[in-house]
Amino acid sequence: MMDGGTHDRQLAGRVALVTGAARGMGYHHARLLAERGAKVVLQDIEAEVASKAAEDLRAAGGAVIAVSGDVGDEEDVERNVAAAEAEFGPVSILVNNAGIGKSGKTEETTEAIFDRVFNVNLRGTFLMTRRVVAGMKAARYGKIVNISSRFGQVGAAYSIAYCASKSGVHGLTKAWAKEFAPWNICVNCVAPGGVWTEMGLEEHGGAEGIRRVEQTVPLKRWAQPEEIGYAVAFLASPESDFITGQVLPANGGATITGI
Amino acid sequence: MAGLDGRVVLVTGAGAGMGRSHAQILAARGADIVVQDIGEPSARETAEMVLSAGRRAHVAVCDVSDGEALTAAIEEAVVALGPIDVLVNNAGIHALTPFDEIEEAEFDRIFAVNVAGSFNAAKAVLPGMKARCRGAIVNVASTSGQIGTPNDTHYCASKGAILGLTKAWAKELAPWSIRVNAVSPGPIATEMTVRNRGWEGIRERAEKEIPLRRYGMPEDVSHAVAFLAGDGASFVTGQVITLAGGLAIVGI
Repeated sequence: MMDGGTHDRQLAGRVALVTGAARGMGYHHARLLAERGAKVVLQDIEAEVASKAAEDLRAAGGAVIAVSGDVGDEEDVERNVAAAEAEFGPVSILVNNAGIGKSGKTEETTEAIFDRVFNVNLRGTFLMTRRVVAGMKAARYGKIVNISSRFGQVGAAYSIAYCASKSGVHGLTKAWAKEFAPWNICVNCVAPGGVWTEMGLEEHGGAEGIRRVEQTVPLKRWAQPEEIGYAVAFLASPESDFITGQVLPANGGATITGI
Repeated sequence: MAGLDGRVVLVTGAGAGMGRSHAQILAARGADIVVQDIGEPSARETAEMVLSAGRRAHVAVCDVSDGEALTAAIEEAVVALGPIDVLVNNAGIHALTPFDEIEEAEFDRIFAVNVAGSFNAAKAVLPGMKARCRGAIVNVASTSGQIGTPNDTHYCASKGAILGLTKAWAKELAPWSIRVNAVSPGPIATEMTVRNRGWEGIRERAEKEIPLRRYGMPEDVSHAVAFLAGDGASFVTGQVITLAGGLAIVGI
């Protein structure tokens, strides 16, 4: 696929950490960043899948390692980032991609479910960013790309914790953009709509379910994961150095709200 | 990966400033450029830059607010370079006037170029895009249209209208796989800005008002245009990318 630029080795010398990178969209974000020359750390709670993914990317010529932990756990975050720094040096690109959802009626959403979703989606983004930002400030350069969701913009029934946590990610993005700007650190967000991932297939009971909802999208389809990756790579690259505090929705026109 | 290889891109208002920068950066990424501008000498200069980047260029001299002339110029361009794959609606004019001093003619002229000009260009390229079921339109809005600026009524309103066109077209044209998005530049150090404000004035405002503490350069905007024009944005339509160094954080 042609993505509008000559990007070979554009990210050479950069160290990228992608959370939730063992599979799905996170894997594709990591793959694209590695292809463009960044040293990439795949962070995921699933150690084995992450190691295998890192192996695949190394085989394709990338400088890639895997680390495993829970982004919502401060000690895991410390351990994972320390390992990343020991291998490649300070993180200059952070992609806060790790996220979970759990659908169900509000009355049936337990506190444990609510807390778990918030812990990964929102607290994980906070903990990771807090841990890496000192290095970015020292370098007077950094790119933080948060992954939210169309549901964080417009809501969805039976998905309260997910929707609220993703709206929270928009809040973090905007507040950090303003707070970190004096150190030339750009903070932006990609808000994907429907994407063909394992998570999407599970939620919709397989491909037929996705094909039905695809009809409601103006472009009449869901995205392939790499289409979201290109947006992430753009916001991680020097091409977007004047863009900060923004939400870039990639949703096939399903939600059009930007003013 | 050479992103826009062989794509034909029409950039309106490409004779100077950001439009020229878009033409140069898109050409550097492999696109052939239809250089549209109201002024022939400046359009020719931009075309020379495209040619020296090793790409094809065609000069289209007309006023975008004249729909017939623009359509005819685009037809000629298609004969010269082939069907238009990407339209960058960049041509725009600006006048700082207190609201109660704006004459109707000045108001109309701003709308004729900024809004009707974009409408005319899109209308002219649309049949080709629809027939081929592919295309990308990138409209150039402004943070003035998002957050307002004083003494700028007609410009702000015209750029707000660009956001409306962008969203309506995104939904209307999606069935033909035509994507429509906007870039929204804030403070950009174009030649005109440098002339008007001076570098000292630019630095002063940047330090006071812009979170990233600098103005954008025209190429900052061009890179976003290139992203939206290319297949990397294949699932992005109806959206606005704001380039303002954190000055306008308004999207949800």
